[in-house]
Amino acid sequence: MTISLVPFVASGVLVAAGVTLLLERSLVRLLVGVILLGNGVNLLIVMAGGPAGEPPILGVSARDRMADPLPQAMVLTSLVITLGVTAFLLAVVHRSWQLTGGDEVQDDTEDRRVRLRATRGELAGSVLARREVYRRLVREQRAELARLEEARRERERRDAEEASKESRRESAGRMRAEFARREREQAAREREIRRRLRERRRQARAEMRAAIREDRERQARAQNPELEGDD
Amino acid sequence: MTVQALISIPVTLPLLAAGLKLAIGGRQRRLQALISVVTLTTVLAVSLVLLVAADTGGPLVANAGGWAAPVGITLVADRLSSLMLVVSSAVTLCVMVYSLAQAYADQEYIAPLAIFHPAYLVTVAGVSDAFLSGDLFNLFVAFEMLLSGSYVLLTFGGTESRIRAGATYVVIGLASSLLFLVGIAVSYGATGTVSMAQLAERFQVLPGYLKLLVELTLLLVFVVKAAIFPMSAWLPDSYPTAPAPATALFAGLLTKVGIYSIIRLEALLFPGGPVSVLLMWAALLTMLVGVFGAVAQTDIKRMLSFTLVSHIGYMVFGVGLSTAAGMAGAVFYVVHHITVQTGLFLVTGLIERRTGTTSLDRLGGLMRVAPVIAVLFFVPAMNLAGIPPMSGFLGKLTLVQAGVAVGGPLPLTLVAGGLVTSLLTLYAVATTWSKAFWRAPPPELAAPAGTVLESEESPVTRVRREEPSVTRAHGTEGITGREIVTSVTMPLPMLGSATALVALGLSYTVLAGPLSALTRRTADELLAREPYISAVLGSPR
Amino acid sequence: MPTTTVPRGNMEPLLILHAVAAVCAPALARRLGRDAFLVLAVAPACGFAYTLRVALTGVPAESHHDWAPTLGLALSFRADALAVLMMSLVTGVGALVLLYCRRYFDAGESGLGRFGGVLVAFAGAMLGLVVADNLLLLYVFWELTTVFSYLLIGHDPESRAARRAATQALTVTSFGGLAMLAGMVMLGEAAGTYRISRIVAHPPSGALIPAALVLVLAGALSKSAIFPFSMWLPAAMAAPTPVSAYLHAAAMVKAGIYLLARLGPAFGALPVWQAVAVPLGLLTMVLAGWRALREYDLKRMLAYGTVSQLGFMAVLFGAATRDTALAGVAMLLAHGLFKASLFLVVGVVDHATGTRDLRELSGLRHSAPWLCAVAATAAVSMAGIPPLLGFVGKEAAFESLLTGRLADTLTLAGIVAGSVLTVAYSARFLWGAFGAKRGREPTPVHGPSATTFTPPALLAVLGLVLAPFAGRYGAAMESYTGTFPGPGHTHLALWTGAPVPLLLSAVALCGGALLFAAGGVVERTGRILRVVDSGRVYWVLMRGLERFSLQLTGVTQRGSLTDYLMVAFVSFAGIGGFALLYGPLPEIRLDVVPWTRPEQPLVGALLVATAVLAPRVRSHIVLALVAGLTGYGTALLFLVHGSPDLALTQFLTETLSLVVFVLVLRRLPLGPREGRPRVPFGMRLGLGLVSGAVMVMAGMLAVSARQAVPVGALMPAAAEKAGASNVVSALLVDIRAWDTMGESSVLVVLTLGVTSLVFLRRRTYTLERPSEEGAPEGRAHWLAATLPAGERAAVLEIVARLIFHTVLLISVFLLFTGHSAVGGGFAGGIVAGLALVIRYLAGGRYELAVAVPAHAGVLIGLGLLLSTVTAFCGLLFGGAPLSMLSADLTVPLVGKLHLSTVLLFDVGVYVAVVGMVQDILRSLGAELDRQIEEETGESGESGERLGGEGSR
Repeated sequence: MTISLVPFVASGVLVAAGVTLLLERSLVRLLVGVILLGNGVNLLIVMAGGPAGEPPILGVSARDRMADPLPQAMVLTSLVITLGVTAFLLAVVHRSWQLTGGDEVQDDTEDRRVRLRATRGELAGSVLARREVYRRLVREQRAELARLEEARRERERRDAEEASKESRRESAGRMRAEFARREREQAAREREIRRRLRERRRQARAEMRAAIREDRERQARAQNPELEGDD
Repeated sequence: MTVQALISIPVTLPLLAAGLKLAIGGRQRRLQALISVVTLTTVLAVSLVLLVAADTGGPLVANAGGWAAPVGITLVADRLSSLMLVVSSAVTLCVMVYSLAQAYADQEYIAPLAIFHPAYLVTVAGVSDAFLSGDLFNLFVAFEMLLSGSYVLLTFGGTESRIRAGATYVVIGLASSLLFLVGIAVSYGATGTVSMAQLAERFQVLPGYLKLLVELTLLLVFVVKAAIFPMSAWLPDSYPTAPAPATALFAGLLTKVGIYSIIRLEALLFPGGPVSVLLMWAALLTMLVGVFGAVAQTDIKRMLSFTLVSHIGYMVFGVGLSTAAGMAGAVFYVVHHITVQTGLFLVTGLIERRTGTTSLDRLGGLMRVAPVIAVLFFVPAMNLAGIPPMSGFLGKLTLVQAGVAVGGPLPLTLVAGGLVTSLLTLYAVATTWSKAFWRAPPPELAAPAGTVLESEESPVTRVRREEPSVTRAHGTEGITGREIVTSVTMPLPMLGSATALVALGLSYTVLAGPLSALTRRTADELLAREPYISAVLGSPR
Repeated sequence: MPTTTVPRGNMEPLLILHAVAAVCAPALARRLGRDAFLVLAVAPACGFAYTLRVALTGVPAESHHDWAPTLGLALSFRADALAVLMMSLVTGVGALVLLYCRRYFDAGESGLGRFGGVLVAFAGAMLGLVVADNLLLLYVFWELTTVFSYLLIGHDPESRAARRAATQALTVTSFGGLAMLAGMVMLGEAAGTYRISRIVAHPPSGALIPAALVLVLAGALSKSAIFPFSMWLPAAMAAPTPVSAYLHAAAMVKAGIYLLARLGPAFGALPVWQAVAVPLGLLTMVLAGWRALREYDLKRMLAYGTVSQLGFMAVLFGAATRDTALAGVAMLLAHGLFKASLFLVVGVVDHATGTRDLRELSGLRHSAPWLCAVAATAAVSMAGIPPLLGFVGKEAAFESLLTGRLADTLTLAGIVAGSVLTVAYSARFLWGAFGAKRGREPTPVHGPSATTFTPPALLAVLGLVLAPFAGRYGAAMESYTGTFPGPGHTHLALWTGAPVPLLLSAVALCGGALLFAAGGVVERTGRILRVVDSGRVYWVLMRGLERFSLQLTGVTQRGSLTDYLMVAFVSFAGIGGFALLYGPLPEIRLDVVPWTRPEQPLVGALLVATAVLAPRVRSHIVLALVAGLTGYGTALLFLVHGSPDLALTQFLTETLSLVVFVLVLRRLPLGPREGRPRVPFGMRLGLGLVSGAVMVMAGMLAVSARQAVPVGALMPAAAEKAGASNVVSALLVDIRAWDTMGESSVLVVLTLGVTSLVFLRRRTYTLERPSEEGAPEGRAHWLAATLPAGERAAVLEIVARLIFHTVLLISVFLLFTGHSAVGGGFAGGIVAGLALVIRYLAGGRYELAVAVPAHAGVLIGLGLLLSTVTAFCGLLFGGAPLSMLSADLTVPLVGKLHLSTVLLFDVGVYVAVVGMVQDILRSLGAELDRQIEEETGESGESGERLGGEGSR
């Protein structure tokens, strides 16, 4: 008994092509992929069933030289089924064309919702975290400010003591100017931080809303009542 | 006529009925209904007889066309098959009554019986054939029957979501069928037979790699059908979109056919071997991934679909243990799960009919608004969560005992995983309950009948009438793009069939003794293998 | 001990009584209103009576019935001393609480029936729990109490707090419960029995036992709200007060302690047991007591008090000596009495004043003196002040731990600290509920009614009355405590005369008084060093769970078909690789030649070429053509291989499916939308190649590995026996006709699917026939088409007309000769279908209607009917389904005809196929035509009319 390579290889190629098509999004191409795959597998059944021989018809060909009839019968059955499935899938194709104007297989909306809820949760979490960070920053800044205030008063007191001394007057003025400047910087920095915090928060919310809106739209598109056929 | 003569009835009778219905055409509703009910009742009776006979007298065999085993196709009704038949036929009967009642109640809205019920009957025939068939290729044909039936039921009405889900479901089904054919090709090439009994003998002499190849290929096919991780994701996408009765049928039976086939594969065709470890891992992942999915859902139907997936893991766990106790546990759990899951989906159908949605974001107050439905939901839900003394607990207990008895790190891990699953199932169910039934009801539910409710945020415009009215589910609520018939009044048969299923689930508690003994006997018979083979191949007994 | 009098232990009737009461409750409530509670109270009252009977006639009382022997699950009950103690608590307090409910609820309140029912059901479950003598049975009742408490806590479901509390209690306790189940199964499997009394008598030993015990303890501690699990109990105070009094003081929370007490004699000696129970118990006792000092809600204060006391009892039964056990049973009784009574008092106060906040209550000492007296009695007992039962218990506890061993001494210290706190919060409770606060005028009170007042009074007084009989009580419990190891020097008595315990009590008393006096300090220190609030931990965990499950599902649940298919084929490839590399490397034992038939290379080349072409083609229709080509190529290979039937069928099916493709694709855009697919081409191709390679390898290996003679070799003989010369068709219609039947049903149902998808919800599936005004005159008499003259090739039409019947004849011939030569019903059917196709393509949809004057669906139905009828004939007359009955007769012009039910069957297939083609043409052909007409609006008026007809 021998194995003839060509038909096997042929079936292999059919399968390969079939799988390649099967992994696309267009339903028609999927269907063709199924058909190719089916042909390949049918070929495999017959080939694995036994060696080539004469048609299994009594009286026409000798029994010992007949090809194995059982795989043939099985393949015949599967052929018929494939035919029916082809027709049905084509009907599905037509219907999906009616609904969506194309034959692409759509992804599941509910699963998208779940994924979205997951990301939404993360976003909210990150926003909270950020807010915390900035709150702390502001607090620190305030503390520093207070400390500086304290220091200034101290200086001023000492200045007041030494106010009598003409010689130190301009130095004290310089000092005061110096403190005023620092104070201004301080306030400015604080304002800056506050602003950054606000706009970061705004942007985070915007992201979140955008994500949600986008998904809503996708779903709305998926559920447009106009596409629900005639009834 | 001997008992053997009855074996073919569960397959041929539904087909006959389907043909008859088609030949009659969609006109005489009464006659149509009568045919369906009588058919399924007969099937139930027959399967009961078969169960008794198979339990007392060993596996029953019928040769289709009078051609004995290796040449022709044999139908085998051993304990497992006939037990499966009994449960499935009971369930299918209830679901059929339910759908008939629904169809009868709102005849203006549902599409004709001319399509739904023939498809339903063919599916039932396919399921029965899958349970009975003793021939690998015929098993393939049986799968095709039930799959093609389910294709039609799932895409019924051709709404957007059903087409989306249907395309996925159909293509997955086709791919798995093709892989099935590959498996058949290889096994016929290697052994030159498709009769399971003979395969069981001839596989043993094959070289290891080939054995493994065939086993794993077939396993992959059945894993897809049974929705076991990593091939489970297609199920929650597709099942919930179908009409309520169809979803109930699918959830109850189709995956279980896959489990049944896995049991046959592991017990009869490839006893022992390294695959059982693989199965146990798959079981663990299925349980956990499924139940976490259930926790994440906001729609009852989808939540239930995910619990369906995760509880498939229990059965695989039992099979993977490959001890008598484990098998018994798996079989028991299958029986329990078919009943309870179907019942739950029917009740969910009632909820949907009452409120027009199954989305937890929009449900509430059902305990006050619809107390009957509340009870009907609570009991099987707790059963599903494995609250004793209901059957869910008994099944779980059997599996835990089996796992502990085997011992070892992996089985104990699985026991732990199973218990975690059970806890999370309880959590998911409780959350659902407290949202949909306890929380204060939304205005459109509390409102008295006759008021027209329209609002921007609720995408559903609902007119509350006593008589049925169509609700089009759009917008951001749960599973969308469907037409739901809502009505305040429930047809009695609908309630009745749902109640019947719930009661059946409870009856397993009362019958725990005999049932668990029966499953144990089933497991022993499965692991012995000899009764099956000798019954089919007719070696001297 | 007389265990022979089995009926005495028979618990089933009592449990059934409870169940019945529970089921009837809603109906009762509807008829009687609040008085229903009086009726419901009968059930636990009977239970109490029964308990007394058992107590008087002597323990233990046993009964045993099988339930599920294979699971070790049995209805075995055993009422020994401990059980009787618990039974009396459960039933007695249960009855009193139900009486109390009658006044507690307002007349018109909703959901009373539900509440009463669940409460009685709970009482039943609790009763079962304490008398169960089978670990699994105990677990059954255990979880039932969990579920019922879930429903009771959520009695007012519209308040969010109640819902959350209910879910929390459910989750926490059933977490413990499931752990416990695992532990119990381990114990049971190790012991070989689930009968508790046997396990306790002969404790199993083994490596798994410590683990099992830890698991069981987890269950017990979670149920009794011991430390890591304490959060649920205070939250559960959202429940109505009767529930708190019953479940959360007397009954359910005791279940865990009961389990400790039950298994203590067997396993208490093991280090793991004490190492878990005692420290956690102490921790709980102290922390909860401390927390109780900072509560303002009276109920929550009591709840924390309960937790603390439970910790106390856990310590006693965790230490598991004969003496501690004695103290434990004393505490069980005492706590059950005073805590239930206190809760009920709080209920009365709440009812009378409308608040439970001790900052608002004031001066009730004067406005409700009797109530105050009752509360005082109970609280004094709680504080462990003589001459009350609480004192007895605590004294015994102190005494039992005076062994001098270090561990015991430390425990003792902890307990004393706990008692100090107990005294403090007892005082705080009294002051808070009844004391007159400075700067706050007395709270208005409308007087408590007798029925609400009696039960707590009764319970409190019992605590006082029973105290003198403590000694006899201890003696009665001897039969239980005796099962513990230990000297047993402790005795229950109001006055033991032992100095040290008395001293310790005094210490506790003074310390407590001081602590209460220093209330403000406690406030502040409490706020500073606040112990971690396990309630918050729980919610953090739950949020984490939600988040995690969302993310996991987001990853695993892609929702995209392509991904799912990828997984499938990758795993197939993986399987191939794994199998081929697993174990010895496979080799092909046959000689592989390029080809065995000269035609093979030619056809093969064509096939490969087309297949390679396919993925590259963009346009749909071309792709369909390519698919058809591959089909034809395959058919040729089949022919070469020696299977003409197969080849013929393949040719026909390919042709037909090409037609269907064309019918649908005419509506679609030319090609798929641009935009690259999910998976890059290279990856897809690679996966395809691998899969192909695996399949081919598998096939070759299979062929080379075959040793047995294939079944196919038996077929010719079988065919001869069947009287057919074409083996394949003999297989199809006789030997494996079962497959064919299924296959034709598949065809039928898929055809239905096509119809349903095209016609959607339209009622009428009829094909409109050409009516007078519809058909253009002149031709209507023999050609029924109505397409405008421009588009019609009259010649083609006429030709179609002429060859139609010829082709039909051919098809019939194929049908009949199938048995002897190439052909068969299926091939015939498709040929006939193709004839229809020609007719339709030529003449449009009206031609179709004329060509097959049968209603849609009827044909396919008929086909299926014929096949199945054949099956039944075979069953009835041939003894097996589908066994064929035959007779030979000679018919002119066809020759000798082998007539049999085979023919019937084959005709069935034929008809089904014709019907299928007709349906497909009708839907994908005619209906689509109609839709096109409607859209393009050409011949608009008629289109309108047809549409109207169609959709009516």
